[in-house]
Amino acid sequence: MGTAGLQPAMANDQLIELAKDPANWVMTGRDYNAQNYSEMEDINKENVSQLRPAWSFSTGVLNGHEGTPLVVGDRMFVHAPYPNTVFALDLNDPGKILWQNEPKQNPTARTVACCDVVNRGLAYWPGDEEHAPLIFRTQLDGHIAALDAETGETVWMMENADIKVGATLTIAPYVIKDMVLVGSSGAELGVRGYVTAYDVKTGEQRWRAFATGPDEELRLAEDFNAPNPHYGQFNLGTDTWEGDAWKIGGGTNWGWYAYDPEEDLFYYGSGNPAPWNETMRPGDNKWTMSIWGREAETGEAKFAYQKTPHDEWDYAGVNVMMLSEQEDKEGQMRKLLTHPDRNGIVYTLDRTNGDLISADKMDDTVNWVKEVQLDTGLPVRDPEFGTRMDHNARDICPSAMGYHNQGHDSYDPERKKFMLGINHICMDWEPWMLPYRAGQFFVGATLSMYPGPKGDRENGLGLGQIKAYDAITGEMAWEKMERFAVWGGTMATAGGLTFYGTLDGFIKARDSDTGDLLWKHKLPSGVIGHPMTYKHDGRQYVAIMYGVGGWPGVGLVFDLNDPTAGLGSVGAFRRLQEFTQMGGGVMVFSLDGESPYTDDPNVGEYVSGEDA
Amino acid sequence: MKLLSFGLVAALTLATPAFAYDGTNCKAPGNCWEPKPGYPEKVEGSEYDPQHDPAELSKQGEALTAMDNRNAWRVWHMKQSGEFEYDVTKIPGYEEGGTPPAE
Repeated sequence: MGTAGLQPAMANDQLIELAKDPANWVMTGRDYNAQNYSEMEDINKENVSQLRPAWSFSTGVLNGHEGTPLVVGDRMFVHAPYPNTVFALDLNDPGKILWQNEPKQNPTARTVACCDVVNRGLAYWPGDEEHAPLIFRTQLDGHIAALDAETGETVWMMENADIKVGATLTIAPYVIKDMVLVGSSGAELGVRGYVTAYDVKTGEQRWRAFATGPDEELRLAEDFNAPNPHYGQFNLGTDTWEGDAWKIGGGTNWGWYAYDPEEDLFYYGSGNPAPWNETMRPGDNKWTMSIWGREAETGEAKFAYQKTPHDEWDYAGVNVMMLSEQEDKEGQMRKLLTHPDRNGIVYTLDRTNGDLISADKMDDTVNWVKEVQLDTGLPVRDPEFGTRMDHNARDICPSAMGYHNQGHDSYDPERKKFMLGINHICMDWEPWMLPYRAGQFFVGATLSMYPGPKGDRENGLGLGQIKAYDAITGEMAWEKMERFAVWGGTMATAGGLTFYGTLDGFIKARDSDTGDLLWKHKLPSGVIGHPMTYKHDGRQYVAIMYGVGGWPGVGLVFDLNDPTAGLGSVGAFRRLQEFTQMGGGVMVFSLDGESPYTDDPNVGEYVSGEDA
Repeated sequence: MKLLSFGLVAALTLATPAFAYDGTNCKAPGNCWEPKPGYPEKVEGSEYDPQHDPAELSKQGEALTAMDNRNAWRVWHMKQSGEFEYDVTKIPGYEEGGTPPAE
């Protein structure tokens, strides 16, 4: 028992240590800072034109392939959309599938997924003296499973979400100490959001915290929001709702996490309130749409800042959290959190106390808000671009798909720039009344979406942007238009390169200083995941998943034609099918395409009498 | 001053939509919602009353309680036996809704 108390801290440190080695990519954003940044400079501006495919792997399923593989030592762990099979590949001979774990799921789970049957990734726990390392997987049908990283055997599996009430799981699990965090999905079906921590070894629930409702269920610390009482503090999880509407109030978290071990705080965003029809839920609808700082050990919230009080546009606030340490305008070193939200604002907070440092529009065409007041924290709404019953609001920017969505972006700590994959989509929106029935969709709005003012509305193209953003000055070092939304996120390297995948099927590398396009490669299908990089046998590889889908791909994936179908995305992405079709796999690149097989073509060959 | 400005806003909202809900007039810290001109302060009893069925609203909470209970049995059984069993009906002593024996 005496040593058991020490193990959590050790496991925690192990993940930090593993992440320092460029051989590994042990969690969604590479390390706890979630910067998607690599110190490696083997691949750089000078030689990126020699980047070639080294090897590839098909997952055997279609639909959207979000997230990125994990690499630990000699192994790559690959997740896939429904039915969420996990593969372990041998990096010394990637043609060899070391193990695969395919869960049996109730196919009904597919019917309550709002936005394709995607999954955002795996998590890894390094193990201890008594327990082998584990891979964690969420399943669309609501389960969280722990798999033996060596053998792929299921060690335990727990129920976290019930598809009968419309609750599913698409989020990647996240390991902190000896706990695995699991988020939630289903605000489009009125699911009240919650985050849960399980013991990595046993699956025992440690704590659970909701996004709406009574303070005990929100799990607020005694000094919650004490540094910023004007953000609101107690009883607001019920007081900012009429009656029991908070019970079906959304606020699910299906985005990404970041963690600061010194503060023992992890950070994430809660999603949109339900339903989309704003008239049916008067009030600020706290604590949906909020940036949370929670103590990992207890789950207690130290601070929360609501970005979009009383949402009227489905600006689900679950986007990526990137941590950095930078000098503020007064020259004071600050521990920061930067978060590009769906609502078109990039928020930067002091991550120790929630202080609002900056809140800039990621594009000047954002119109629902005139500005965010840094002293009050309030967004000054422009009533002209709000939504309401018996009214068709037009030309609202951003659209419900946001100027930024689920893409996991990156931060270059040398250049002090955030590499933002941005959407350029606006919309018309008309709500309608509907009843709530558990397990059925609870949206209540009809949308029409199209390119923003800087795109080509007539031809339905020019739906994306990529920009390098400075969180302190608020300036964009460079900005570039893209044909489609940059949905999958970005990765920056010390080689001065910013990598990202596009919906029309390319992986691209831009100059991090100028934004110039230096290299690209045509992949089998569009990309909605983020690039990753690792070093194996002294060689730097860049890997990315392909397989178009997600919300922008629902028209293509489910063969829909009504422009308002797919929650309005079908119209916006009507041209996508002219550039890509479905796919599913991982493509791995290196300089000159070097791999274990170019080193020696005999690697992996059949040898009579050998088992493998 | 606060009362005056509130009255002023209320009077003007009817004529000029520019003074409509802009999110900056707060009843209390963290509580800044206002009805839009022509829309009710409370939807109950109005034409926008969602008329939620309390039985439907309680289903999610019931589902979580049931899942947590099954999970507790799974954890208990693994601690007892060292083997993981997902199917709770195969766990000796399992009763639906009952709590696993104290260790």
